[in-house]
Amino acid sequence: MKPQMFLENARMSARSIAGNMVRSILTALGVMIGVAAVIILVALGNGAQQSVEANLTALGANLMIVYSGEPRGAALVRTNTAGIRPTITPADVAMIESLPPEWVNAVAPTSTANGQLKYENRNVAATVTGTGISYPEVRNFFPVYGEFFTQADVDNRNRVVTIGMQIYRDLFPEGVDPLGRTIRINGISFRVTGIMEEKGSPAQDAAVFIPVSTFQRSISGLANYQLVNIQAASPEIMRDLQAHLEQELLRLHRLPSMEVADFYIANQLDLLATVQGVTGTFTVLLAGIAAISLVVGGIGIMNIMLVSVTERTREIGVRMAMGARGRDIMIQFLTEAVILSVGGGLIGVGIGLGGSWGARTLARTAAAVTVDSVALAFGFSLVIGLFFGSYPAWRASRLNPIEALRYE
Amino acid sequence: MIALKEVHRHYHMGPTVVRALDGVSVEVEQGEFVAVTGPSGSGKSTLMNIIGCLDQPDSGSYHLNGDAVEDLIPDRLADVRNRSIGFVFQNFNLLPRLTALENVEVPLVYGGMARRERHRRARLMLERVGLADRSGHRPNELSGGQRQRVAIARALATDPAILLADEPTGALDSRTGEEVMELFQELNREGATIVLVTHEADVAAHARRTIHILDGKVSR
Repeated sequence: MKPQMFLENARMSARSIAGNMVRSILTALGVMIGVAAVIILVALGNGAQQSVEANLTALGANLMIVYSGEPRGAALVRTNTAGIRPTITPADVAMIESLPPEWVNAVAPTSTANGQLKYENRNVAATVTGTGISYPEVRNFFPVYGEFFTQADVDNRNRVVTIGMQIYRDLFPEGVDPLGRTIRINGISFRVTGIMEEKGSPAQDAAVFIPVSTFQRSISGLANYQLVNIQAASPEIMRDLQAHLEQELLRLHRLPSMEVADFYIANQLDLLATVQGVTGTFTVLLAGIAAISLVVGGIGIMNIMLVSVTERTREIGVRMAMGARGRDIMIQFLTEAVILSVGGGLIGVGIGLGGSWGARTLARTAAAVTVDSVALAFGFSLVIGLFFGSYPAWRASRLNPIEALRYE
Repeated sequence: MIALKEVHRHYHMGPTVVRALDGVSVEVEQGEFVAVTGPSGSGKSTLMNIIGCLDQPDSGSYHLNGDAVEDLIPDRLADVRNRSIGFVFQNFNLLPRLTALENVEVPLVYGGMARRERHRRARLMLERVGLADRSGHRPNELSGGQRQRVAIARALATDPAILLADEPTGALDSRTGEEVMELFQELNREGATIVLVTHEADVAAHARRTIHILDGKVSR
């Protein structure tokens, strides 16, 4: 086949498509919708994945948590740890704090309890969190007004509290500056040092933070900690650090294995991997559903191409009489099918990009278009044109010229 | 130019065998203008299809321009049609979406001629049938006679060995038909070899020789 024949075929196909514009658009509509659906749904799936990942990362960089109690699966952050019997001893914490800075950046031993807050005649229930001064850094959660309590407060078991944004709103009348004011936690007076930033999660916004030493003496009366928040030095060190901690804590607790351990360790990477697995499956599922509509669009193209071959039987006969070979006829109709599906695919890409943009800006949904999904959807439309166009084209090429010329 | 020897073509229609051509031998020399006549069902259409390389004989031989074409594969047959045969049909069979010029170009496209050369040649052919000023018109903007002239220009485009016309005046009124026949005579005078298939005696009278087919055989 001479290369110029491809050009001639493309020209003939374009002409016949343009000559039947309404039908051509309707034919390509299936592929258009299919391609747009693949791009938009994959964008939504990816957007969901990215926002979940962003939320997880916002919990704190390279976060690892040692919990009291039996292993509870992959939950990194338990929303309510109050009421768990603390099994992590001061010796455990001392061991973790003694690890080299190449392994651990910061450590915040923590315990929580449910508490009743009171300011003047106002009463609010809150999670009371006793922790160390590294807590804001480890959990990526900082004060926006005033300051977090200090190391001196921890050393001296001072009765100071840094309050969550929701607590500030619920406890203080409008216009009252809470800094330096005294609130009561379970009847004990605490001086307010600052307000934490708003995170949008009740577990963080409806909590108050006090020095862990004060917590042990005034709230729980226990020397053990419920959990230890750890910031690992790097993501690469995570797995080794976890293994080392498990080994050392088992030794300190005189326990033979993790199966019977009274603590467990969760890390951000594992949780991220789990979430990515789930949202990845979700995205593939969406893409699969959209791909079905692409296939249906392809069947639509085949249907119309078969009709078109029948309608143009006489034209095919004339072309054969003029010297067209079966291959020439085949390529002409195949080119037509591919132009329809690829044209539909291109418009579909446009609709998909526009739709994703609309979802992001108008509906404020997380939608992230990936180059992969655009390339995949477009490539798929090309394959569909070739696949579903080949049978009608083959039928056209096999027509008997005498019968085709006689066809009314 | 055309030499058919003892050509047989049989069709099986259920249990009966139709002997459309039953031992036909025909020779046409270069520059001849031959009419093939016969009543409908006589086998003249089958003969035309075989001469036009649209169909092949079951037995017998067919030489076109000295080459045996009775056993060619379909692709080679398509090439022979492209180079050596110019078809003129009763119903013109122009492609409705193409202009007159583009219709004339169709056989040149399949012959692989470059675009510029093709335009030049197609224009020349339209000039030859007197339709140079209609080259941009589509078939439905042309009269019956003009359409048949475009079809003749298309048939001439690849400079074929023979023009094969099947009832070329069948869809035209008698005056226009007469004009088309005069065009054929003129082309013949300029050297074209023409085989005309018709069942009308007065159309056949324009040819210089008549071959009469009856029941699948040459009758005189």
